[in-house]
Amino acid sequence: MKIMDFCKVLILLSVFWVSAGFALPGKVLIVNSDNTVFRYETIASEFKKVLQQNAYQWTEFNLNSHADAEAELKQLIQQENPVLIYCIGTKAYSLARNVASNKKLLFSAAINWRRLDIGEGTYGVANELSSAQEISLLRYFFPTIKTIGLLYNDKFSREYVETIKKEALALGINIINQPINDTQEISGALNELLPKIDMFWIISDPVVLSSKASVQQIFQAAQQQKKPVYAYSEVFIEQGAVLAISADLATIGRQSASLALMINEDKVPEGTVQNPAGSTVTLNKCALDALRFSFNQDALDSVNKIVECDK
Amino acid sequence: MKRILPVFFIFSVFITGSYWSAYSNVGSIIYFYNPETNINNFATLKTAFDTYLVNHGGYYFQPFDSRENFEAVIQEKKGDIYLLSSWHLKALQQKNVPLKIALVGTSKGNTMQRKVLSTKKDIVDVTMLKNTVVAGAGSEEYIHSVLKQILGKEQEALLKDIKILLVPKDIDAIMAVGFGMASAAISAESSLDKLAMINPNQFRELHGLGFSEKDYLLVAATLKKPEQQEAELLEVLRKMSEADAGGENLKLLGIDGWRAM
Repeated sequence: MKIMDFCKVLILLSVFWVSAGFALPGKVLIVNSDNTVFRYETIASEFKKVLQQNAYQWTEFNLNSHADAEAELKQLIQQENPVLIYCIGTKAYSLARNVASNKKLLFSAAINWRRLDIGEGTYGVANELSSAQEISLLRYFFPTIKTIGLLYNDKFSREYVETIKKEALALGINIINQPINDTQEISGALNELLPKIDMFWIISDPVVLSSKASVQQIFQAAQQQKKPVYAYSEVFIEQGAVLAISADLATIGRQSASLALMINEDKVPEGTVQNPAGSTVTLNKCALDALRFSFNQDALDSVNKIVECDK
Repeated sequence: MKRILPVFFIFSVFITGSYWSAYSNVGSIIYFYNPETNINNFATLKTAFDTYLVNHGGYYFQPFDSRENFEAVIQEKKGDIYLLSSWHLKALQQKNVPLKIALVGTSKGNTMQRKVLSTKKDIVDVTMLKNTVVAGAGSEEYIHSVLKQILGKEQEALLKDIKILLVPKDIDAIMAVGFGMASAAISAESSLDKLAMINPNQFRELHGLGFSEKDYLLVAATLKKPEQQEAELLEVLRKMSEADAGGENLKLLGIDGWRAM
Protein backbone atom coordinates (compact mmCIF):
# COMPACT_ATOMS: atom_id res chain seq x y z
CA MET A 1 0.00 0.00 0.00
CA LYS A 2 2.83 2.37 0.93
CA ILE A 3 4.53 1.70 -2.41
CA MET A 4 1.26 2.52 -4.19
CA ASP A 5 1.00 5.83 -2.30
CA PHE A 6 4.61 6.65 -3.13
CA CYS A 7 3.92 5.98 -6.83
CA LYS A 8 0.86 8.23 -6.73
CA VAL A 9 2.90 11.06 -5.19
CA LEU A 10 5.58 10.53 -7.82
CA ILE A 11 3.04 10.73 -10.64
CA LEU A 12 1.47 13.88 -9.16
CA LEU A 13 4.89 15.49 -8.82
CA SER A 14 5.74 14.65 -12.44
CA VAL A 15 2.49 16.16 -13.66
CA PHE A 16 3.20 19.27 -11.59
CA TRP A 17 6.72 19.65 -12.98
CA VAL A 18 5.55 19.27 -16.55
CA SER A 19 2.63 21.68 -16.14
CA ALA A 20 4.86 24.20 -14.42
CA GLY A 21 7.02 24.32 -17.53
CA PHE A 22 9.85 22.16 -16.17
CA ALA A 23 12.16 21.06 -18.97
CA LEU A 24 10.39 23.29 -21.45
CA PRO A 25 12.63 25.49 -23.56
CA GLY A 26 11.25 28.92 -22.66
CA LYS A 27 8.30 31.18 -23.02
CA VAL A 28 7.70 33.54 -25.92
CA LEU A 29 5.42 36.55 -25.73
CA ILE A 30 3.62 37.31 -28.99
CA VAL A 31 2.57 40.94 -29.31
CA ASN A 32 0.22 41.40 -32.23
CA SER A 33 -0.59 44.91 -33.50
CA ASP A 34 -4.10 43.80 -34.43
CA ASN A 35 -5.22 40.19 -34.57
CA THR A 36 -8.28 41.10 -36.65
CA VAL A 37 -5.96 41.99 -39.53
CA PHE A 38 -5.71 38.95 -41.80
CA ARG A 39 -2.00 39.31 -42.61
CA TYR A 40 -1.01 39.65 -38.95
CA GLU A 41 -3.15 36.73 -37.89
CA THR A 42 -1.83 34.47 -40.67
CA ILE A 43 1.73 35.19 -39.54
CA ALA A 44 0.84 34.63 -35.87
CA SER A 45 -0.92 31.36 -36.62
CA GLU A 46 2.05 29.84 -38.52
CA PHE A 47 4.45 31.12 -35.86
CA LYS A 48 2.48 29.33 -33.13
CA LYS A 49 2.35 26.07 -35.11
CA VAL A 50 6.15 25.89 -35.19
CA LEU A 51 6.46 26.82 -31.51
CA GLN A 52 4.01 24.07 -30.63
CA GLN A 53 5.97 21.48 -32.64
CA ASN A 54 9.05 22.44 -30.64
CA ALA A 55 7.32 22.33 -27.24
CA TYR A 56 7.64 26.06 -26.63
CA GLN A 57 5.12 27.89 -24.51
CA TRP A 58 3.73 31.27 -25.51
CA THR A 59 1.41 34.01 -24.35
CA GLU A 60 -0.41 36.33 -26.70
CA PHE A 61 -1.10 40.00 -26.29
CA ASN A 62 -3.23 41.68 -28.94
CA LEU A 63 -2.96 45.45 -28.83
CA ASN A 64 -6.44 45.92 -30.26
CA SER A 65 -8.00 44.15 -27.26
CA HIS A 66 -6.51 46.38 -24.57
CA ALA A 67 -7.57 49.90 -23.65
CA ASP A 68 -4.31 50.72 -21.88
CA ALA A 69 -2.02 48.49 -23.91
CA GLU A 70 1.25 50.02 -22.69
CA ALA A 71 0.60 49.55 -18.98
CA GLU A 72 -0.92 46.10 -19.43
CA LEU A 73 1.92 44.93 -21.65
CA LYS A 74 4.47 46.17 -19.12
CA GLN A 75 2.71 44.25 -16.38
CA LEU A 76 2.47 41.10 -18.50
CA ILE A 77 6.17 41.19 -19.31
CA GLN A 78 7.03 41.47 -15.61
CA GLN A 79 4.66 38.65 -14.80
CA GLU A 80 5.67 36.23 -17.58
CA ASN A 81 9.35 37.15 -17.98
CA PRO A 82 9.50 35.86 -21.57
CA VAL A 83 12.79 34.81 -23.16
CA LEU A 84 11.76 36.59 -26.36
CA ILE A 85 9.06 39.02 -27.47
CA TYR A 86 7.77 38.47 -30.99
CA CYS A 87 6.24 41.66 -32.36
CA ILE A 88 3.90 41.49 -35.34
CA GLY A 89 3.56 44.88 -37.03
CA THR A 90 5.26 48.23 -36.43
CA LYS A 91 2.87 49.26 -33.64
CA ALA A 92 3.64 46.13 -31.64
CA TYR A 93 7.37 46.53 -32.11
CA SER A 94 7.43 50.21 -31.14
CA LEU A 95 5.46 49.53 -27.97
CA ALA A 96 7.53 46.50 -26.97
CA ARG A 97 10.73 48.44 -27.60
CA ASN A 98 9.46 51.18 -25.28
CA VAL A 99 8.42 48.96 -22.41
CA ALA A 100 10.99 46.16 -22.68
CA SER A 101 14.14 47.45 -24.32
CA ASN A 102 16.24 45.02 -22.26
CA LYS A 103 14.42 41.99 -23.72
CA LYS A 104 15.24 40.16 -26.92
CA LEU A 105 12.84 41.40 -29.57
CA LEU A 106 11.95 39.78 -32.87
CA PHE A 107 9.77 41.66 -35.36
CA SER A 108 7.97 40.93 -38.59
CA ALA A 109 5.33 42.61 -40.79
CA ALA A 110 6.90 46.01 -40.15
CA ILE A 111 6.76 48.12 -43.30
CA ASN A 112 10.18 49.55 -44.13
CA TRP A 113 11.95 48.13 -41.07
CA ARG A 114 15.02 50.28 -41.65
CA ARG A 115 13.11 53.20 -40.18
CA LEU A 116 12.51 51.37 -36.90
CA ASP A 117 14.43 52.16 -33.76
CA ILE A 118 16.59 49.03 -33.70
CA GLY A 119 18.57 48.26 -30.57
CA GLU A 120 20.83 45.49 -29.38
CA GLY A 121 19.06 42.21 -29.04
CA THR A 122 16.68 42.99 -31.88
CA TYR A 123 16.08 40.54 -34.68
CA GLY A 124 13.60 40.53 -37.51
CA VAL A 125 12.09 39.19 -40.68
CA ALA A 126 11.55 41.99 -43.20
CA ASN A 127 8.19 42.59 -44.77
CA GLU A 128 9.50 42.88 -48.31
CA LEU A 129 11.41 40.42 -50.47
CA SER A 130 14.92 41.49 -51.33
CA SER A 131 15.07 43.20 -54.71
CA ALA A 132 17.45 40.45 -55.91
CA GLN A 133 14.76 37.84 -55.15
CA GLU A 134 12.20 39.91 -57.04
CA ILE A 135 14.45 40.42 -60.05
CA SER A 136 15.36 36.70 -60.15
CA LEU A 137 11.69 35.70 -60.13
CA LEU A 138 10.87 38.40 -62.66
CA ARG A 139 13.51 36.89 -64.96
CA TYR A 140 11.91 33.48 -64.49
CA PHE A 141 8.68 34.80 -66.00
CA PHE A 142 10.20 37.21 -68.52
CA PRO A 143 13.66 35.94 -69.44
CA THR A 144 13.98 38.28 -72.43
CA ILE A 145 13.48 41.52 -70.49
CA LYS A 146 16.59 43.67 -70.74
CA THR A 147 15.55 47.17 -69.64
CA ILE A 148 13.22 48.09 -66.80
CA GLY A 149 12.17 51.58 -65.85
CA LEU A 150 10.97 53.03 -62.57
CA LEU A 151 10.00 56.31 -60.99
CA TYR A 152 11.11 57.20 -57.47
CA ASN A 153 11.64 60.02 -55.07
CA ASP A 154 15.27 60.60 -54.22
CA LYS A 155 14.59 61.43 -50.57
CA PHE A 156 12.62 58.27 -49.83
CA SER A 157 13.95 55.61 -52.17
CA ARG A 158 17.45 56.50 -53.37
CA GLU A 159 19.17 53.75 -51.39
CA TYR A 160 16.64 51.11 -52.46
CA VAL A 161 16.88 52.14 -56.12
CA GLU A 162 20.68 51.97 -55.99
CA THR A 163 20.41 48.41 -54.64
CA ILE A 164 17.94 47.45 -57.37
CA LYS A 165 20.23 48.86 -60.07
CA LYS A 166 23.25 47.00 -58.75
CA GLU A 167 21.45 43.69 -58.36
CA ALA A 168 19.68 43.95 -61.71
CA LEU A 169 22.92 44.73 -63.49
CA ALA A 170 24.48 41.59 -62.02
CA LEU A 171 21.66 39.66 -63.71
CA GLY A 172 22.06 41.44 -67.02
CA ILE A 173 19.12 43.84 -66.61
CA ASN A 174 19.50 47.56 -67.06
CA ILE A 175 17.41 49.75 -64.76
CA ILE A 176 16.54 53.23 -65.94
CA ASN A 177 15.46 55.26 -62.94
CA GLN A 178 13.74 58.60 -63.19
CA PRO A 179 13.55 60.73 -60.02
CA ILE A 180 10.49 62.87 -59.32
CA ASN A 181 9.92 65.48 -56.62
CA ASP A 182 6.12 65.40 -56.65
CA THR A 183 3.21 63.84 -58.53
CA GLN A 184 3.05 66.79 -60.95
CA GLU A 185 6.20 65.44 -62.55
CA ILE A 186 4.85 61.91 -63.17
CA SER A 187 3.40 62.59 -66.61
CA GLY A 188 6.55 64.17 -68.03
CA ALA A 189 8.78 61.54 -66.46
CA LEU A 190 6.70 58.72 -67.94
CA ASN A 191 6.78 60.30 -71.40
CA GLU A 192 10.52 60.34 -71.23
CA LEU A 193 10.95 56.93 -69.64
CA LEU A 194 8.44 54.58 -71.29
CA PRO A 195 9.84 54.62 -74.86
CA LYS A 196 13.24 53.47 -73.53
CA ILE A 197 12.11 50.43 -71.53
CA ASP A 198 10.72 46.88 -71.91
CA MET A 199 8.80 46.95 -68.63
CA PHE A 200 7.80 49.44 -65.92
CA TRP A 201 8.38 48.53 -62.26
CA ILE A 202 6.18 50.03 -59.53
CA ILE A 203 8.20 50.28 -56.33
CA SER A 204 6.79 51.18 -52.93
CA ASP A 205 7.65 54.88 -53.09
CA PRO A 206 5.37 57.18 -51.04
CA VAL A 207 5.67 60.10 -53.47
CA VAL A 208 5.04 58.12 -56.65
CA LEU A 209 2.11 56.29 -55.05
CA SER A 210 0.79 59.26 -53.06
CA SER A 211 -2.63 59.27 -54.72
CA LYS A 212 -4.99 57.03 -56.64
CA ALA A 213 -4.74 59.46 -59.54
CA SER A 214 -0.97 59.08 -59.82
CA VAL A 215 -1.30 55.28 -59.94
CA GLN A 216 -3.97 55.60 -62.64
CA GLN A 217 -1.71 57.93 -64.57
CA ILE A 218 1.07 55.34 -64.59
CA PHE A 219 -1.20 52.55 -65.82
CA GLN A 220 -2.84 54.71 -68.47
CA ALA A 221 0.50 55.88 -69.87
CA ALA A 222 1.91 52.32 -69.82
CA GLN A 223 -1.17 51.00 -71.58
CA GLN A 224 -0.99 53.69 -74.26
CA GLN A 225 2.62 52.82 -74.98
CA LYS A 226 1.91 49.07 -74.67
CA LYS A 227 4.42 48.55 -71.86
CA PRO A 228 3.80 45.88 -69.23
CA VAL A 229 3.84 46.90 -65.58
CA TYR A 230 5.36 44.78 -62.81
CA ALA A 231 4.39 45.60 -59.21
CA TYR A 232 5.55 44.70 -55.71
CA SER A 233 2.01 44.02 -54.53
CA GLU A 234 -1.09 42.16 -55.72
CA VAL A 235 -3.21 45.30 -55.23
CA PHE A 236 -1.95 46.62 -58.58
CA ILE A 237 -3.13 43.57 -60.53
CA GLU A 238 -6.66 44.91 -60.77
CA GLN A 239 -5.34 48.08 -62.36
CA GLY A 240 -3.45 46.13 -65.01
CA ALA A 241 -0.07 45.00 -63.63
CA VAL A 242 1.00 41.85 -65.49
CA LEU A 243 2.84 40.34 -62.55
CA ALA A 244 3.04 40.92 -58.81
CA ILE A 245 5.55 39.23 -56.52
CA SER A 246 5.41 39.69 -52.76
CA ALA A 247 6.41 37.92 -49.56
CA ASP A 248 4.41 34.86 -48.51
CA LEU A 249 2.77 35.57 -45.16
CA ALA A 250 2.71 31.99 -43.87
CA THR A 251 6.43 31.66 -44.57
CA ILE A 252 7.11 34.89 -42.64
CA GLY A 253 5.43 33.30 -39.61
CA ARG A 254 7.38 30.02 -39.93
CA GLN A 255 10.64 31.83 -40.64
CA SER A 256 10.16 34.05 -37.58
CA ALA A 257 9.55 30.97 -35.46
CA SER A 258 12.64 29.28 -36.84
CA LEU A 259 14.63 32.41 -36.03
CA ALA A 260 13.09 32.54 -32.54
CA LEU A 261 14.26 28.98 -31.81
CA MET A 262 17.77 29.80 -33.02
CA ILE A 263 17.86 33.05 -31.01
CA ASN A 264 16.91 31.16 -27.88
CA GLU A 265 19.80 28.80 -28.52
CA ASP A 266 22.13 31.78 -29.12
CA LYS A 267 22.81 30.66 -32.67
CA VAL A 268 21.92 33.88 -34.45
CA PRO A 269 24.13 36.99 -34.48
CA GLU A 270 22.48 39.97 -32.76
CA GLY A 271 20.81 42.39 -35.12
CA THR A 272 20.02 39.76 -37.74
CA VAL A 273 17.19 40.85 -40.01
CA GLN A 274 16.35 38.36 -42.73
CA ASN A 275 14.45 38.86 -45.95
CA PRO A 276 11.34 36.69 -46.30
CA ALA A 277 12.21 33.28 -47.75
CA GLY A 278 8.87 32.60 -49.43
CA SER A 279 7.17 34.40 -52.28
CA THR A 280 3.64 34.75 -53.59
CA VAL A 281 3.12 35.26 -57.31
CA THR A 282 0.08 36.63 -59.15
CA LEU A 283 0.09 36.54 -62.94
CA ASN A 284 -2.36 38.65 -64.92
CA LYS A 285 -2.86 36.65 -68.11
CA CYS A 286 -5.64 38.96 -69.18
CA ALA A 287 -3.29 41.96 -69.22
CA LEU A 288 -0.53 39.91 -70.88
CA ASP A 289 -2.87 38.75 -73.63
CA ALA A 290 -4.06 42.31 -74.22
CA LEU A 291 -0.44 43.41 -74.68
CA ARG A 292 0.41 40.24 -76.65
CA PHE A 293 3.32 39.89 -74.29
CA SER A 294 4.62 36.34 -73.85
CA PHE A 295 5.95 34.76 -70.68
CA ASN A 296 7.88 31.61 -69.80
CA GLN A 297 5.20 28.95 -69.41
CA ASP A 298 7.49 26.76 -67.29
CA ALA A 299 7.18 29.45 -64.62
CA LEU A 300 3.51 28.56 -64.16
CA ASP A 301 4.66 26.02 -61.56
CA SER A 302 5.42 28.98 -59.28
CA VAL A 303 2.18 30.90 -59.67
CA ASN A 304 -0.31 31.24 -56.81
CA LYS A 305 -3.01 33.03 -58.70
CA ILE A 306 -3.78 33.56 -62.38
CA VAL A 307 -6.08 36.37 -63.42
CA GLU A 308 -7.99 35.63 -66.62
CA CYS A 309 -10.25 38.02 -68.54
CA ASP A 310 -13.94 37.92 -67.64
CA LYS A 311 -15.85 36.01 -70.29
CA MET B 1 -44.83 30.30 -37.51
CA LYS B 2 -45.78 26.69 -36.68
CA ARG B 3 -47.04 26.29 -40.25
CA ILE B 4 -44.05 27.91 -41.84
CA LEU B 5 -41.49 25.61 -40.21
CA PRO B 6 -42.75 22.29 -41.69
CA VAL B 7 -43.11 23.92 -45.13
CA PHE B 8 -39.58 25.27 -44.85
CA PHE B 9 -38.35 21.81 -43.77
CA ILE B 10 -39.97 20.05 -46.73
CA PHE B 11 -38.64 22.73 -49.09
CA SER B 12 -35.11 22.32 -47.67
CA VAL B 13 -35.24 18.54 -48.07
CA PHE B 14 -36.40 18.95 -51.66
CA ILE B 15 -33.70 21.47 -52.51
CA THR B 16 -30.94 19.54 -50.76
CA GLY B 17 -32.03 16.27 -52.33
CA SER B 18 -32.09 17.80 -55.79
CA TYR B 19 -28.66 19.26 -55.19
CA TRP B 20 -27.12 15.95 -54.13
CA SER B 21 -28.86 13.98 -56.87
CA ALA B 22 -27.53 16.53 -59.37
CA TYR B 23 -24.06 16.31 -57.86
CA SER B 24 -24.12 12.52 -57.92
CA ASN B 25 -24.63 12.65 -61.68
CA VAL B 26 -21.36 14.44 -62.34
CA GLY B 27 -18.66 12.47 -64.11
CA SER B 28 -15.56 11.06 -62.46
CA ILE B 29 -13.46 13.41 -60.39
CA ILE B 30 -9.71 13.94 -60.36
CA TYR B 31 -8.51 14.36 -56.78
CA PHE B 32 -5.19 16.09 -56.28
CA TYR B 33 -2.81 16.44 -53.35
CA ASN B 34 0.93 17.04 -53.52
CA PRO B 35 3.09 17.04 -50.38
CA GLU B 36 6.07 18.25 -52.45
CA THR B 37 4.88 21.85 -52.69
CA ASN B 38 3.33 24.50 -50.46
CA ILE B 39 2.01 26.82 -53.13
CA ASN B 40 -1.43 28.01 -52.25
CA ASN B 41 -2.79 27.85 -55.80
CA PHE B 42 -5.85 25.70 -55.18
CA ALA B 43 -8.39 28.21 -56.47
CA THR B 44 -6.40 28.68 -59.68
CA LEU B 45 -5.97 24.91 -60.13
CA LYS B 46 -9.66 24.27 -59.53
CA THR B 47 -10.78 26.94 -62.02
CA ALA B 48 -8.26 26.00 -64.70
CA PHE B 49 -8.83 22.23 -64.55
CA ASP B 50 -12.61 22.41 -64.14
CA THR B 51 -12.89 24.72 -67.16
CA TYR B 52 -10.89 22.25 -69.25
CA LEU B 53 -12.40 19.02 -67.91
CA VAL B 54 -16.04 20.12 -68.02
CA ASN B 55 -15.56 20.82 -71.72
CA HIS B 56 -13.90 17.44 -72.25
CA GLY B 57 -16.49 15.06 -70.90
CA GLY B 58 -18.02 16.82 -67.91
CA TYR B 59 -15.35 15.87 -65.38
CA TYR B 60 -14.21 17.78 -62.33
CA PHE B 61 -11.00 18.50 -60.46
CA GLN B 62 -10.71 18.67 -56.68
CA PRO B 63 -7.42 19.85 -55.17
CA PHE B 64 -6.66 19.28 -51.46
CA ASP B 65 -4.36 21.12 -49.10
CA SER B 66 -4.77 18.51 -46.39
CA ARG B 67 -3.30 15.03 -46.61
CA GLU B 68 -5.90 13.66 -44.17
CA ASN B 69 -8.84 14.88 -46.25
CA PHE B 70 -7.30 13.57 -49.46
CA GLU B 71 -6.70 10.15 -47.91
CA ALA B 72 -10.24 10.12 -46.52
CA VAL B 73 -11.54 10.50 -50.08
CA ILE B 74 -9.38 7.57 -51.22
CA GLN B 75 -10.83 5.48 -48.38
CA GLU B 76 -14.31 6.04 -49.85
CA LYS B 77 -13.09 3.96 -52.83
CA LYS B 78 -15.34 5.65 -55.35
CA GLY B 79 -13.07 4.68 -58.19
CA ASP B 80 -11.96 8.09 -59.39
CA ILE B 81 -8.52 9.32 -60.47
CA TYR B 82 -5.98 10.42 -57.89
CA LEU B 83 -3.06 12.70 -58.70
CA LEU B 84 -0.34 12.43 -56.11
CA SER B 85 3.41 12.30 -55.63
CA SER B 86 5.13 8.94 -55.94
CA TRP B 87 6.43 9.36 -52.38
CA HIS B 88 2.86 9.62 -51.13
CA LEU B 89 1.75 6.74 -53.34
CA LYS B 90 4.39 4.48 -51.82
CA ALA B 91 3.38 5.52 -48.30
CA LEU B 92 -0.23 4.61 -49.08
CA GLN B 93 0.73 1.32 -50.71
CA GLN B 94 2.62 0.45 -47.53
CA LYS B 95 -0.65 0.94 -45.68
CA ASN B 96 -2.24 -1.56 -48.09
CA VAL B 97 -4.18 1.03 -50.08
CA PRO B 98 -4.36 -0.69 -53.49
CA LEU B 99 -3.47 2.33 -55.64
CA LYS B 100 -2.00 1.55 -59.03
CA ILE B 101 -0.18 3.97 -61.34
CA ALA B 102 -2.00 4.61 -64.60
CA LEU B 103 -0.06 7.63 -65.88
CA VAL B 104 3.26 9.17 -64.97
CA GLY B 105 3.89 12.90 -65.36
CA THR B 106 6.68 13.99 -67.65
CA SER B 107 8.83 17.10 -67.70
CA LYS B 108 11.10 17.78 -70.67
CA GLY B 109 10.96 14.11 -71.57
CA ASN B 110 11.79 12.82 -68.08
CA THR B 111 9.46 10.82 -65.91
CA MET B 112 11.80 10.71 -62.93
CA GLN B 113 13.51 13.22 -60.70
CA ARG B 114 15.83 13.20 -57.75
CA LYS B 115 16.05 15.65 -54.90
CA VAL B 116 19.23 17.54 -54.10
CA LEU B 117 20.53 18.87 -50.82
CA SER B 118 22.20 22.12 -51.91
CA THR B 119 24.43 24.36 -49.84
CA LYS B 120 26.94 27.11 -50.40
CA LYS B 121 30.37 25.76 -51.27
CA ASP B 122 31.86 26.52 -47.84
CA ILE B 123 29.72 23.74 -46.41
CA VAL B 124 31.66 20.70 -47.51
CA ASP B 125 30.18 18.04 -45.29
CA VAL B 126 26.68 17.22 -44.01
CA THR B 127 27.94 17.30 -40.42
CA MET B 128 28.34 21.06 -40.87
CA LEU B 129 24.56 21.29 -41.08
CA LYS B 130 24.20 20.66 -37.35
CA ASN B 131 22.13 23.45 -35.74
CA THR B 132 21.29 25.06 -39.05
CA VAL B 133 18.12 25.71 -41.05
CA VAL B 134 17.28 23.64 -44.13
CA ALA B 135 14.62 25.11 -46.44
CA GLY B 136 12.29 22.97 -48.49
CA ALA B 137 8.93 23.08 -50.23
CA GLY B 138 6.35 20.53 -49.17
CA SER B 139 5.06 19.00 -46.00
CA GLU B 140 7.36 18.71 -43.00
CA GLU B 141 7.02 14.93 -43.11
CA TYR B 142 8.07 14.83 -46.75
CA ILE B 143 11.12 17.09 -46.32
CA HIS B 144 12.13 15.11 -43.24
CA SER B 145 11.87 11.87 -45.16
CA VAL B 146 13.97 13.11 -48.11
CA LEU B 147 16.56 14.54 -45.75
CA LYS B 148 16.72 11.24 -43.89
CA GLN B 149 17.29 9.37 -47.14
CA ILE B 150 20.02 11.78 -48.25
CA LEU B 151 21.81 11.76 -44.90
CA GLY B 152 21.74 7.97 -44.75
CA LYS B 153 21.99 5.77 -41.67
CA GLU B 154 25.40 7.12 -40.69
CA GLN B 155 24.29 10.73 -40.34
CA GLU B 156 20.64 10.15 -39.44
CA ALA B 157 21.24 11.44 -35.91
CA LEU B 158 21.84 14.89 -37.38
CA LEU B 159 18.15 15.22 -38.19
CA LYS B 160 17.19 16.21 -34.65
CA ASP B 161 19.65 19.14 -34.81
CA ILE B 162 18.37 20.48 -38.12
CA LYS B 163 15.51 22.96 -38.30
CA ILE B 164 13.29 22.70 -41.34
CA LEU B 165 11.89 25.90 -42.86
CA LEU B 166 8.92 25.23 -45.09
CA VAL B 167 8.65 27.58 -48.07
CA PRO B 168 6.07 27.63 -50.89
CA LYS B 169 8.20 26.33 -53.75
CA ASP B 170 11.57 24.86 -54.71
CA ILE B 171 12.94 28.08 -56.16
CA ASP B 172 12.21 29.86 -52.84
CA ALA B 173 14.11 27.14 -50.97
CA ILE B 174 17.19 27.39 -53.18
CA MET B 175 17.20 31.18 -53.16
CA ALA B 176 16.86 31.10 -49.35
CA VAL B 177 20.35 29.56 -49.31
CA GLY B 178 21.73 32.14 -51.72
CA PHE B 179 20.28 35.03 -49.72
CA GLY B 180 21.27 33.63 -46.32
CA MET B 181 17.90 32.65 -44.83
CA ALA B 182 18.85 28.98 -44.76
CA SER B 183 22.08 27.00 -44.83
CA ALA B 184 20.79 24.32 -47.16
CA ALA B 185 17.83 23.54 -49.39
CA ILE B 186 16.03 20.43 -50.51
CA SER B 187 14.76 20.79 -54.07
CA ALA B 188 14.28 18.91 -57.30
CA GLU B 189 17.37 18.80 -59.48
CA SER B 190 15.43 20.54 -62.24
CA SER B 191 14.85 23.51 -59.92
CA LEU B 192 18.60 24.08 -59.79
CA ASP B 193 18.55 24.30 -63.60
CA LYS B 194 15.94 27.03 -63.23
CA LEU B 195 18.18 28.90 -60.79
CA ALA B 196 21.05 28.59 -63.27
CA MET B 197 18.83 30.34 -65.80
CA ILE B 198 17.40 33.11 -63.63
CA ASN B 199 20.33 33.82 -61.32
CA PRO B 200 23.54 32.22 -62.64
CA ASN B 201 25.72 33.99 -60.05
CA GLN B 202 23.81 32.44 -57.20
CA PHE B 203 23.80 29.05 -58.92
CA ARG B 204 27.60 29.11 -59.12
CA GLU B 205 27.82 29.65 -55.36
CA LEU B 206 25.94 26.41 -54.64
CA HIS B 207 26.81 22.75 -54.83
CA GLY B 208 25.00 19.49 -54.24
CA LEU B 209 25.93 17.94 -50.91
CA GLY B 210 23.73 14.89 -51.33
CA PHE B 211 21.14 13.34 -53.60
CA SER B 212 18.02 11.27 -53.06
CA GLU B 213 17.12 8.22 -55.11
CA LYS B 214 15.28 8.87 -58.35
CA ASP B 215 11.52 8.78 -58.19
CA TYR B 216 8.61 9.42 -60.50
CA LEU B 217 7.24 12.93 -60.91
CA LEU B 218 3.51 13.33 -60.22
CA VAL B 219 1.49 10.17 -60.91
CA ALA B 220 -2.15 9.52 -61.79
CA ALA B 221 -3.41 6.44 -59.98
CA THR B 222 -6.61 4.45 -59.65
CA LEU B 223 -7.85 2.11 -56.95
CA LYS B 224 -9.01 -0.59 -59.29
CA LYS B 225 -9.01 -1.48 -62.95
CA PRO B 226 -10.52 1.64 -64.55
CA GLU B 227 -14.11 1.30 -65.72
CA GLN B 228 -15.26 3.02 -68.89
CA GLN B 229 -15.70 6.45 -67.34
CA GLU B 230 -12.34 6.39 -65.55
CA ALA B 231 -10.63 5.08 -68.67
CA GLU B 232 -12.11 7.95 -70.65
CA LEU B 233 -10.99 10.46 -68.04
CA LEU B 234 -7.47 9.01 -68.05
CA GLU B 235 -7.43 9.45 -71.81
CA VAL B 236 -8.56 13.08 -71.46
CA LEU B 237 -5.77 13.60 -68.94
CA ARG B 238 -3.17 11.88 -71.13
CA LYS B 239 -4.04 14.10 -74.08
CA MET B 240 -4.12 17.36 -72.11
CA SER B 241 -0.72 18.49 -73.33
CA GLU B 242 -1.98 18.39 -76.93
CA ALA B 243 -4.23 21.42 -76.32
CA ASP B 244 -2.82 24.84 -75.36
CA ALA B 245 -5.15 25.26 -72.38
CA GLY B 246 -4.49 21.69 -71.21
CA GLY B 247 -0.74 22.14 -71.53
CA GLU B 248 -0.86 25.31 -69.42
CA ASN B 249 -2.83 23.48 -66.76
CA LEU B 250 -0.22 20.74 -66.56
CA LYS B 251 2.51 23.36 -66.15
CA LEU B 252 0.68 24.59 -63.05
CA LEU B 253 1.41 21.12 -61.65
CA GLY B 254 5.06 21.29 -62.71
CA ILE B 255 4.77 18.77 -65.56
CA ASP B 256 4.32 19.05 -69.32
CA GLY B 257 2.69 15.76 -70.24
CA TRP B 258 1.78 12.20 -69.23
CA ARG B 259 3.12 8.79 -70.13
CA ALA B 260 0.93 5.71 -69.84
CA MET B 261 2.21 2.87 -67.66
